[in-house]
Amino acid sequence: MMYFEEALRVLVANKMRTFLTTIGLIIGVFAVISIEVLGHSMAGSISETLGALADNSFILFPGSFQGDFARAAMRLSDLDNIVATVPNISSAVPIGGAQELVRYGHNVGRFRLFSDANPPFANLPLAYGRYLSDDDIASAADATVLSWAAYQRLFPDGGDPSGESVYAGTHRYVVVGVLAKPRQGLLNATFGGDVSIPYTTYVREFVHGDRIFAARFTVRDTSIIPETEAAVINRVRQLRNIGKDVQYKTFDKAAFTGGIDGVFNAVTIVVGLIGAVSLVVAGIGVMNIMLVSINERTREIGTRKAIGARKGQILMQFFIEAALLSSFGCFVGMALGLLAGGLINSIFIVKLTGYTAPPPYAQALIITLTFAAIVTLAFGSYPAYRAASLDPIEALRYE
Amino acid sequence: MNNSRAIDLAQITKTYKTGSLEVPALQGIDLVVERGEYVAIMGPSGSGKSTLMNIIGCLDRPTSGSYHLDGEDVSHLDDNALATIRLRKLGFVFQGFNLLARTDAINNVALPLFYAGVSTRERRARALTMLTEVGLADRAHHKPSELSGGQQQRVAIARALVNDPAVLLADEPTGNLDTKTSADIMALIDQLHAGGRTIIMVTHDENIARNARRVVRLLDGAIVSDEAMDHQKVAKG
Repeated sequence: MMYFEEALRVLVANKMRTFLTTIGLIIGVFAVISIEVLGHSMAGSISETLGALADNSFILFPGSFQGDFARAAMRLSDLDNIVATVPNISSAVPIGGAQELVRYGHNVGRFRLFSDANPPFANLPLAYGRYLSDDDIASAADATVLSWAAYQRLFPDGGDPSGESVYAGTHRYVVVGVLAKPRQGLLNATFGGDVSIPYTTYVREFVHGDRIFAARFTVRDTSIIPETEAAVINRVRQLRNIGKDVQYKTFDKAAFTGGIDGVFNAVTIVVGLIGAVSLVVAGIGVMNIMLVSINERTREIGTRKAIGARKGQILMQFFIEAALLSSFGCFVGMALGLLAGGLINSIFIVKLTGYTAPPPYAQALIITLTFAAIVTLAFGSYPAYRAASLDPIEALRYE
Repeated sequence: MNNSRAIDLAQITKTYKTGSLEVPALQGIDLVVERGEYVAIMGPSGSGKSTLMNIIGCLDRPTSGSYHLDGEDVSHLDDNALATIRLRKLGFVFQGFNLLARTDAINNVALPLFYAGVSTRERRARALTMLTEVGLADRAHHKPSELSGGQQQRVAIARALVNDPAVLLADEPTGNLDTKTSADIMALIDQLHAGGRTIIMVTHDENIARNARRVVRLLDGAIVSDEAMDHQKVAKG
């Protein structure tokens, strides 16, 4: 294509001018793309963290900032009632934890004992052994599954600890399994505890009286979790014979992810605004230099018209020059943005979380092309139109 | 209308409007140029010769009168139609050469063919043939800045002829050249005339005009004389 060759020749002949003109575009696209890369990897690492949370369950606990905290406490017996009366609930287990000194031989650590069930609370693969079984739960066995952190502390020499006994306080638990190291993600949150024991065992050892702090419910239909949560809260209020003044809170994966998404949407809007501003500024630069270029080449345009170039052909020539100019800036910006984003990502986020998100190439390309297209159309059209509309006689006479 | 005529101007007027003031530039020009003629248009500045040249060159439209170019009525065409006429039927040679500065000779010559939608391969072949004809085949890949003034004007002439126009229009073709180079260019134009080209040249230089076979003189927007040159009398060189 001759239009491209000619446009390229013009841009190459004015290297410095081309570069200075596109610097606004380079910076704008650079900023948007690098933030996009970082946001992408942050979002990825957070959802990786949340991946450990099963998506068919939710947790219910009394709101902590209220006077009637004691009245709000659920009873163990409530759970069976809820399973029987709320249709979407398939199971309910009490949740609780207690900090204990846990010991294996000479190795000691302070860890959280945590009531767990089958399937387990955290959706993590096993490093060794097995999960707690239904039998463990039915018989309230003194069995435990260790987290990777607890395992490392108690068994620094490594190896499969299945069958070994650890002590929590004076109580002895037999290790049946070890959970794999969780991918931490950016949120430094672990779900569940370090020393998981059957909730039945937990109830026997730690729940005095009937009161429990919180409960985990699993549902049959995950699409109506919010409705199910409301139904469960209603049922608890009925059972406890309390009014709406007593608050309960729920925690589920979808609601949590939704909150995080909200934050990222806000970030995206801010980045979008930055992008839009830089786009306008850069676009005006492109328009300015196109007008200068056309002014300088008035005689050339007159010659082309005298030779027989039609309006559309002149228009196309300058339009392509504007397109090439803005594409150049946008793609350099994209390359730098991917590079910088990737670099910051690998230095900070990957090191911090161990999570590597694939760079969002497709998104980056879409952003870049959109940028280039908007600048070309919005700021390249007018100069090209002006060039095409020049009167050939006037243009030929132009000194 | 006689189809053998390259140019047929009948009662052409052109009036410029500056505010409420009407300035007549051409006042009823009748001019017929047969195919193969070599005509010089002369006149002092303000005589209307540039205006006439612009109308003949289809860069401008007459206010009234009719203009047939190569048998086709072009008096009332719109801008794009006029561009197509210029592309197909006219070749321009300018005083300042008007070559594309960053473009080598062959691509300068090929430019009209590009606008005509000719394929790259054919463009190159035809442009090279044309350059050979003006004696610059060995300079095909030189940029205008690497060529002398005379060579640049030869490239410009090759560009004007590459689409095989009905009329070659030359506006002071030697205005920017020294005497020796001017003679070379005039010899080339002479040679083109001998080859059957129709040539119209605008100039204020009597010596240059003398090369033409017919001289039309303008004054105040009207033709004041139209005479054939007797070339036996014109000493050459």
